[in-house]
Amino acid sequence: MRYDVVVIGGGLAGLTSAALLAKGGRRVIVLERRDTLGGLHSTEEIAPGIRGEAVQHDIGWIPASVMEALALDEAQLSLVRPAASATSLLRGGRTLTLWSDPARTARELASHSEKDARAWGAFGERVTRLAGFLQAIYEAPAPEPLASGAREVLAMLGLGRRVRSLGRDGIVDLLRTLPMSVADLLDETFETPALKGLVATSGVSRLSQGPQSGATAFVLLHHHVGAPAGAIRSRAIARGGLGVLASALAERARSAGAEIRTNAAVSRIAVTEDGVRSVVLANGDELETTLVLSTLDPRHTLYDLIDPIYIDPELSEAVRTVRYRGACAKVHLVLDGLPPLGTELLEGALVVAPDMAYLERAYDAAKYGDISERPYLEARIPTVHDASLATAGRHVMSVLVQWVPHRLRAGAWDASRREAVGDLVVATLGELFPGFASRIVAGAVLSPADIEERYGATEGSLTHGELTLDQVLFMRPVPGLSRHATPIPGLYLAGPGTHPGTSIASASLAVKAIGAVRRARSGDRAATGV
Amino acid sequence: MKNGKVDAIVIGAGHNGLVCAAYLARAGKKVLVLERRHLVGGAAVTEEIVPGFKFSEFSYVVSLLRPEIIRELDLPAHGLQILPLESTVTPMPNGNYLAAWADHDETRRELYRHSPLDADAYDEFGLLMHHMAHAVKPIIGMMPPDPASLSPRELMSLGKLGGHMRSLGARKFYALHKLMTMSSADYLDEWFETDVLKATKAASGIIGTFMGPRSPGSAYVLLHHYMGEIDGAFRAWGFQKGGTGGVSEAIAGAARRFGAEIRLEAPVGRVLVNNGRSVGVALENGDEYRADIVVSGLDPKRTFLKLVEERELPSDFVASIRRFKTRGSSGKVNLALSELPRLTCMEPENIARWGGVPIPPQRYLRGAISVSPTMDYVERAYDDAKHGSFSRRPYMDVVIPSMIDPGMAPPGQHVMSIFCQYAPFAIDGGWDDAKREAFGDAVVDALAAFAPNIRRAIIGRQVLTPADIERITGLTEGNIFQGELALDQLFFLRPAPGYAKYRTPVDGFYQCGSGTHPGGGIMGASGRLAALTILGERP
Repeated sequence: MRYDVVVIGGGLAGLTSAALLAKGGRRVIVLERRDTLGGLHSTEEIAPGIRGEAVQHDIGWIPASVMEALALDEAQLSLVRPAASATSLLRGGRTLTLWSDPARTARELASHSEKDARAWGAFGERVTRLAGFLQAIYEAPAPEPLASGAREVLAMLGLGRRVRSLGRDGIVDLLRTLPMSVADLLDETFETPALKGLVATSGVSRLSQGPQSGATAFVLLHHHVGAPAGAIRSRAIARGGLGVLASALAERARSAGAEIRTNAAVSRIAVTEDGVRSVVLANGDELETTLVLSTLDPRHTLYDLIDPIYIDPELSEAVRTVRYRGACAKVHLVLDGLPPLGTELLEGALVVAPDMAYLERAYDAAKYGDISERPYLEARIPTVHDASLATAGRHVMSVLVQWVPHRLRAGAWDASRREAVGDLVVATLGELFPGFASRIVAGAVLSPADIEERYGATEGSLTHGELTLDQVLFMRPVPGLSRHATPIPGLYLAGPGTHPGTSIASASLAVKAIGAVRRARSGDRAATGV
Repeated sequence: MKNGKVDAIVIGAGHNGLVCAAYLARAGKKVLVLERRHLVGGAAVTEEIVPGFKFSEFSYVVSLLRPEIIRELDLPAHGLQILPLESTVTPMPNGNYLAAWADHDETRRELYRHSPLDADAYDEFGLLMHHMAHAVKPIIGMMPPDPASLSPRELMSLGKLGGHMRSLGARKFYALHKLMTMSSADYLDEWFETDVLKATKAASGIIGTFMGPRSPGSAYVLLHHYMGEIDGAFRAWGFQKGGTGGVSEAIAGAARRFGAEIRLEAPVGRVLVNNGRSVGVALENGDEYRADIVVSGLDPKRTFLKLVEERELPSDFVASIRRFKTRGSSGKVNLALSELPRLTCMEPENIARWGGVPIPPQRYLRGAISVSPTMDYVERAYDDAKHGSFSRRPYMDVVIPSMIDPGMAPPGQHVMSIFCQYAPFAIDGGWDDAKREAFGDAVVDALAAFAPNIRRAIIGRQVLTPADIERITGLTEGNIFQGELALDQLFFLRPAPGYAKYRTPVDGFYQCGSGTHPGGGIMGASGRLAALTILGERP
């Protein structure tokens, strides 16, 4: 069989790419190793008759350009942005909620601190302004400071204009904020420990760094790209599970003519001196193509699928040193009732991060290869939005636990260690909700090693490589590859491991990169619909 | 009482204040330096804390002092004499050790004993860091351009900076980007496998900062400390003969020769401002001195929050200075010793056991002893500090100046200088005598683990916490760099956006301390650039 493009990986990046490429008239096939689509964003059966969020349980930025190109809207994707963005679970049954409506958050904060209530609105505006600038960068191919030529100069000037549109104070604020620790950022703005703890999670989520680590303020801004104005920690969930999103994208791809094959593990990409020749599956099938878009993480693609003689030593070294360091385990809990919080709060994220010192201590353990004794938890209950995910009377709680290091100081991941993580979560929530343990009817734990094995995410990194200042923009995934093309003609990379660090946006940029090269090579405008 | 008018008053006779004064005097200005203490130098002083024993009380090694300052002020003629520090020995928990020498090949052979791979990587690493230091050098010597400004001059300056970065070529550009954004632990992990090597190198990336080696941003400080140069030789660290105070004395001597007057025990209470212009200063005793130009070498917080009335400054500027981070993180223990320490790991039979090259004590004790046995050790030292206590097992940089300069101690006896981290200024409950001594004990214990005879050798001990450093030198929170060397406080952000070029919101009032660009170490660059700004000269 011959295809114009073979897309490796049926996660959100792969499905988005396929839909965009197929719409542009390419003959496309998506190859997914597993039997479900969605990758880290899939929805799967976790106990008989009960489905839950595989790993990720909410979603950030989806570029408007992609929604438009695929004629999608939030309703079709069943996306919901709960009024309660995130609720911090505090001792004694107390809570602190960040609402998507900043005015409501400010009213809630007033009972903790008048000063913080007054500062809230301006803080939200500041984050929106700075994240908006990141968004402008993220919507374009990665800036290449060393590239030359008229087009590059124009691109840099355009970037310069966007920077200047922030205004004098905005530029200074951006440059000062990016390398800061999220702890410093919040300490100079707020005084309520619970508020600082809850907001700080945005700077350390899925990352092997604590709130006092440098450049975690950048991480906070990254997670606010595309968020509603003034809303902090607001993310969308999909009614029916994020798998609905994957299905909708798959449907778009198929209706545009793409083929999607599951249970189709790729064993290698065959390459000659001229570039990509074919993709060979584990079952021996060989798909001929001159274009491959891999959405696996860069290490998997360049180390496992390509004959090493085609990777020059310097590139190989750069790929080797990309840091992944998965920081989370996933715990699914099937409950026979809901925690006593009221529906409105239960619709949002439930967070155990009572203050920044708690987060910092939780992180300390991971530095030495230990699991946090008092972990940071991020929980959602998808059944609150769609009861049909579970059997009658049952609820599913999806918990991301941090910090749980991929590489343990002593020993390897095994069943007993996995169990211990489950127990830790139950004990932590049990302290906040008396009797919680007795509500649990089933559970499952995925260690970072399980996430690596099951979803192909190196070291269990949910972002396909740490999102830190030294691994973003022109450094992501490695210098020279930030615009999705690789030194192997016809091989392109997408996925969160590539610029700008989110699945769907990276797919859109990778597809544009393919189009641009094609255009330059053939001058054939008809073949470049996207 | 009124005194005669001078052209310029410099507040504080720290090394930057003195450099600034010397350059102003050299240009023909009538300069008066006012110093609170009874001696010049600020944190670069030599004091006889124990009779007969001379200590470089705070700052104890010299390497960053700008060669152009040495040249232009002819400092060797005024007594500047740097004696090189030739080695570093790091004892390891298992009894082994790692030695590094001024001689590159010797270091390489020693490294080979630990890891042939690392010995190979060391060459390439050294070369790259050398190139990086060269790449950053022009930035240190330049006035920081203001990226937010639209003036043609600023844009040209920015363009020049951009051109400089691009001229580095891909390899160096990306390496520099990594150095600016990574943690030193991660950066070193890309190069080496020997933990003790990485720990010792990373330790130099945390000096004076409130970061651990695993915090992004710490790799930059690694480079900052790599830039030491004496007479053009990169990476050489050394002692001033007679103690660090001699550096200050040399600069003061140069300033005096150019006609500057230095008045000691003359603490300035406030800067006199009239219609938005500084017109002089008032001492704490009420004496007033008049000058058209007033320069402060004190740290930004002391300068703007203590010496100037708040109403004379824009409120957003005051807010910037208030949030300028000055968390002191290091302490100093100075010991008078009756005998030399003996490192267990450097006993001949132990060296033989580990297959090392025999080294007599007279040799390795002329260098530094680094107590940084593992990366985790250094990181855990930081953990203690960030949670509000001093490190139970601190990172320490130990030197014995009397080995190189016997005049520092009575015959047969020695002075030992121990730089230790972390000792946070904001320790839980605040510092008191008991905590200071407990900290001193922790330092001695940590050293005794590798040199058991140290306890009986101690005949005098001075423990300096950040609170003591603040009390004695005036450095806010005892921060040895007058403000943390973190990316959000460097270059055009040091100490505040819009005021990174030695000017202040008050006309005629300037700043020249290491709280301004480039800051940190006995470098003198801030003092020189401030003087050139005042004189209207391009650097």
